[in-house]
Amino acid sequence: MTVGESQALTSGTGEQPLTALHHAGGPTLTAEPELTMSPEAIDALDGPFTTRQLLRLDEALRVADQQTGLTFSVYIGDLEEPTREHAEQLHRRLDGAAAAVLVAVSPNQRVLEIITGSDARKRISDRDAKLAALSMAAAFAGGDLAGGVLSGLDQLASHAGRH
Amino acid sequence: MSIFSTILVFAGIPLGIILVVAALVASGSSRTRPARRYRPGRPYDFRPIWFLASPAQVTPALAGKAAPALEAGIIEDSSGAQVRPGPTGGASDRW
Repeated sequence: MTVGESQALTSGTGEQPLTALHHAGGPTLTAEPELTMSPEAIDALDGPFTTRQLLRLDEALRVADQQTGLTFSVYIGDLEEPTREHAEQLHRRLDGAAAAVLVAVSPNQRVLEIITGSDARKRISDRDAKLAALSMAAAFAGGDLAGGVLSGLDQLASHAGRH
Repeated sequence: MSIFSTILVFAGIPLGIILVVAALVASGSSRTRPARRYRPGRPYDFRPIWFLASPAQVTPALAGKAAPALEAGIIEDSSGAQVRPGPTGGASDRW
């Protein structure tokens, strides 16, 4: 997302978008890049990923969504027991859950759940999902959280095919 | 060469170099942020994050705040019978 796009989102509709530099002589964007970011983006920077990994994740999600027409999302955090039910609950909260694919990773519990909606399931069979889950789990076991998610998304998207 | 200058050259200079290198090593490790990496077996104490290509599609405020009531949980048809959502698929794994 560019600076202009984020400003257009954060400022109210109808009025001219405020710049990140509200007044002359304020901090520059290089000194305080937080000025252009949403609270979610700042939260994400505190996470386990570097900026480069976050950018690659963003790119992977966008490409997967565009190519397949499904909605891919990745949740990384603790899941309540039973993990499968909790992951399905999260999946139901997505808009258009039938065509959504949720990859839920819980590093503390060492659990990985891939949930495909009823429509997405026709494109990504459970066997394909299991194949992606195996390669993701292999990467996670080596400590590569971002790489595992990236390769999993790539496999799921290529199994789903183009829309 | 006197004993003094011998000691100065063969002990003083190496010692000085060692001290300089040690000082550089100690001062270079002042990283404020801890190692932000997941390692299997170590505790993972980051806040939950949810990535989505367009974040407007998910109900906001997962991190920190209470989860909102699930709206899509129970759907009823005209006769009042519960309509279950289509079956979800997928896979699970552990590592």
